[in-house]
Amino acid sequence: MSGVAAGSLSDGTREFLLCLADDEHLMGQRHTEWIGVAPFLEEDLALASIGQDELGHAAMLYELLSGPGRDIDDIALGRSAGEYRSCWLVEQKCPDWSDALVRHWMYDTAESLRWQMFEKSSIDELRGIAARALGEESFHVMHAEAMVAALSLSSDAHSRLAHSIAELLSLGVAMFEAPAGELDAIDDGVVSTSMVTLLPEWQQRVDARFGEQDWAAVDTVHQNGRTTRSDSFAPMYDVMREVLLIDPEAKW
Amino acid sequence: MRSWDSVEAFETFLDGGGIVEVDDRMPDVFRDAVFAFIEMHANSELMGGLTERDWIPRSPGVKNKMAILAKTQDEVGHAHLLYMVAADLGIKTRTEMMEDLFAGKSKFHNVFHYQAVTWADQVAIAYLVDSAALMSQQAVFKNCSYGPYKRMLKRIIAEEGFHMRFGEERLLKIAEGTEIQRDMFQGALDRWWLPALQLFGPDTRDGDVLLRWHIKSERNEVLRDRWVQKYVPLLTSYGFVIPDDHLRHDEATGRWEIGEIDWAPLKAALANAGPDSARRIGNASKNWHDTAWVRAALDEAAA
Repeated sequence: MSGVAAGSLSDGTREFLLCLADDEHLMGQRHTEWIGVAPFLEEDLALASIGQDELGHAAMLYELLSGPGRDIDDIALGRSAGEYRSCWLVEQKCPDWSDALVRHWMYDTAESLRWQMFEKSSIDELRGIAARALGEESFHVMHAEAMVAALSLSSDAHSRLAHSIAELLSLGVAMFEAPAGELDAIDDGVVSTSMVTLLPEWQQRVDARFGEQDWAAVDTVHQNGRTTRSDSFAPMYDVMREVLLIDPEAKW
Repeated sequence: MRSWDSVEAFETFLDGGGIVEVDDRMPDVFRDAVFAFIEMHANSELMGGLTERDWIPRSPGVKNKMAILAKTQDEVGHAHLLYMVAADLGIKTRTEMMEDLFAGKSKFHNVFHYQAVTWADQVAIAYLVDSAALMSQQAVFKNCSYGPYKRMLKRIIAEEGFHMRFGEERLLKIAEGTEIQRDMFQGALDRWWLPALQLFGPDTRDGDVLLRWHIKSERNEVLRDRWVQKYVPLLTSYGFVIPDDHLRHDEATGRWEIGEIDWAPLKAALANAGPDSARRIGNASKNWHDTAWVRAALDEAAA
């Protein structure tokens, strides 16, 4: 099936697409926090560039959901916390560089799989967005992979990364939890398969890079189909809306 | 590699429009002066990026966030390029320059010793500070006698032009906006007018070697006045009030005359004792320290 107009999205599909948009938005937001404070200047610039890409993907998805000529910030920043559909991994602050790098590796490895689900989407615009995102995500994965590979040669860095993996693994798995609206999105031909079907491939890549994990022992994170927010969300949400709330009438 | 028998012969070369390259045997006094100038420029780009990064997460809207991120990325990118140009002069490595900066041992421009306290400050920085910096950089680029710096300035100036445009567009929205927005910008103008004015520095002293050696092409007071003549009418036409009780328009000459400038804040900032210097340098130093393990691990991997 192809050629479905973006304006005729079902409610379930809209909710499902919000997952991708919110993930990209919040991941981009978190990456921007490293500009000027990363370990060295080239890394400042790399993470800023990756953050820029993720925000761009979010903007394209919000535009698709908003419709032509509408202000995307109504969706991007105008919803209540409970209406967001982000996974908890992207909500985390990760102020430690090791955590930030492992999160970056986990997220972009998942993205490189997830965007492939839209290559035959019934929505023309979504196929275009996916093609662009996949091209960019391949650079993100290369960046994360090269950095992890180099750092893994140092015993100190290796143990820091292992600690970060242990801390973040359950949140990584939770990226693949079936989000609200997923069944509708599959029925509508918007996405080819359920997100959870991508999990084994992602787990294999984690094992190959960081060593075999005890997947059975990984805690379950209760995101409730991404309808609830982690404790890290509220402070970020307040910061993102701080200026907008000063004057709801203002155009900036 | 070229060399000169004396400083006088070198100055004759410069006066004739000569461009010095990194592998030339330039006099040490010239090398030192050019290095100090570029190091301060690089430090300022980095610290400027840090000033602006405070407001990236708070940007009103996704598109503003992408724009201010790109702008900050440019500033850090300029620091990256300038540190390379400075390091090539063989006086300090990039790491030494950054560690001196974070230890409070070197200088950066006065404007980055202040905190941006509202989104309007971010706009004021782009509108006032970036325009002042651009005017100064254009004057350096015009006749710059050090080739690597001149070539780098060409790129930097092109990007700074976009930053100024960012400031102009955002200011226009505020000027045409609500009372709250206009009040917010007036507050920012009250905070940033004097620092931006002081970015040009005090009047150039006679015998300034940067002028004599064609690093700078114009005197500080000439550039400062040119900026005043351009920005006072623009800001007042939007209905904002310049925070200078002695500002007056000379009807006979058609020029704006500003009040006497108190240079004490500039001196304090350049001694790393400005209003926000300690926090800025302290945070940057802590970040550098906290991520030292990454640099050490990569050095170990490369060894």
